[in-house]
Amino acid sequence: MNPTPVPPLSAADIPEVTANISSPAQRLQSLLADFLDKTQATFSLVIDRGGSILCQQGNLPESTDATILAALAAGSFAATKELAARLGETEFNTLHHQGKNANILVSTVDDDAVLMTVFGPETTVGLVKFYAVGTVHCLATLLKEARTSPDSQIAISKQDFNAIGNIFHQ
Amino acid sequence: MSIINYVNKEVQFKIVYYGAALCGKTTNLAYIHGHITDTNKGELVSLATAADRTLFFDFLPLNALVIKGFRTRFQLYTVPGQVIYNATRQLVLRSVDGVVFVTDSHWDKMQENVESFHNLYDNLVLQGMDMDRIPYVLQYNKRDVPRLAPVHYLEYILNNRPVRVPSYQAVATTGQGVFATLNAISRLLLRKFIRETEETAAAGQVRAPAPAATALSGIAAGTRR
Ligand SMILES: Nc1nc2c(ncn2[C@@H]2O[C@H](COP(=O)(O)OP(=O)(O)O)[C@@H](O)[C@H]2O)c(=O)[nH]1
Ligand SMILES: [Mg+2]
Repeated sequence: MNPTPVPPLSAADIPEVTANISSPAQRLQSLLADFLDKTQATFSLVIDRGGSILCQQGNLPESTDATILAALAAGSFAATKELAARLGETEFNTLHHQGKNANILVSTVDDDAVLMTVFGPETTVGLVKFYAVGTVHCLATLLKEARTSPDSQIAISKQDFNAIGNIFHQ
Repeated sequence: MSIINYVNKEVQFKIVYYGAALCGKTTNLAYIHGHITDTNKGELVSLATAADRTLFFDFLPLNALVIKGFRTRFQLYTVPGQVIYNATRQLVLRSVDGVVFVTDSHWDKMQENVESFHNLYDNLVLQGMDMDRIPYVLQYNKRDVPRLAPVHYLEYILNNRPVRVPSYQAVATTGQGVFATLNAISRLLLRKFIRETEETAAAGQVRAPAPAATALSGIAAGTRR
């Protein structure tokens, strides 16, 4: 899975280390896998601030739809941020929801994305927060690359489009 | 801009149903959720008050066709219509790809419809977007109520921008016009997406913007009526 051994602490090195051997999408995945590994968190999701999923890693309970988590997490983060701004609070980069068994940490990646991490009692919020700092830093760089990478481009032609009739049916 | 899930190879489109309070936005999503086939629908999530008024948004994810190995997904949102929830509407509009503007056809609602339309315009501008660039369609809902405003009047007050957009009559409670509206906005979004991928491809290959631009404006004109 992980093409090169990654030095344990400096998550910030990952993009450079693997820069020439894998696509941004693969590096995004190994970055998240490494983050889950170090923190023992169960699931992480990189979300566009509008609520769409950019990438994900880890396991969710069978019945849980990641798409819905993304929409709700983006909404909740945006609302809380707005709340903070209205109270004159500017330093507001993470949001922690604590439950009995499940915890959620949402962290700012850049102006367009946030990282949502789900974790249980196996780990602590301190540890997750600690590694999240390095991870979001790398994510910001990798997302910038992924947005322009040729792998992420889709060649759809007008002919393909014309062949499509109604998209949804009842 | 549509969002690509780089890992799962998915293109995601965000569609927001916008309009005055009680015009039928939530009813559209509920009908789609209840009647859609040929697709993988997700759960309909409503962040609503006890009285069923939309507090934050409703959300319905839909899986659609696969094109060239990429699955398309359409995420439908509604906004709360009440005037006081403007901050919330702005949050929901974040990264929007397309809008369905739902109108209540009752004569008494004309002012509210127009105010909501202007509010949409203003909120898009705040996000650095504008109604000349974002695909949208109009839905004239509640065509079954008494004291109906005629369609030509609705067109006159709402569809009067330089570029006329597609408009649909609907009765969201019975589903009339609901899928026509959804398909129209979805096709506009796909078409725009294809135009943008062609643009990117053209820019990446040779620096020959002139012929590309001609071809593109041809497609753009095709979306106009
Ligand atoms: N007669 C009639 N009632 C409708 C129609 N569409 C929605 N409604 C009703 O209008 C009310 C408000 O609808 P809702 O979808 O909650 O409005 P929203 O505030 O835009 O989300 C509900 O009681 C609906 O049943 C329609 O086409 N005809
Ligand atoms: Mg509603």
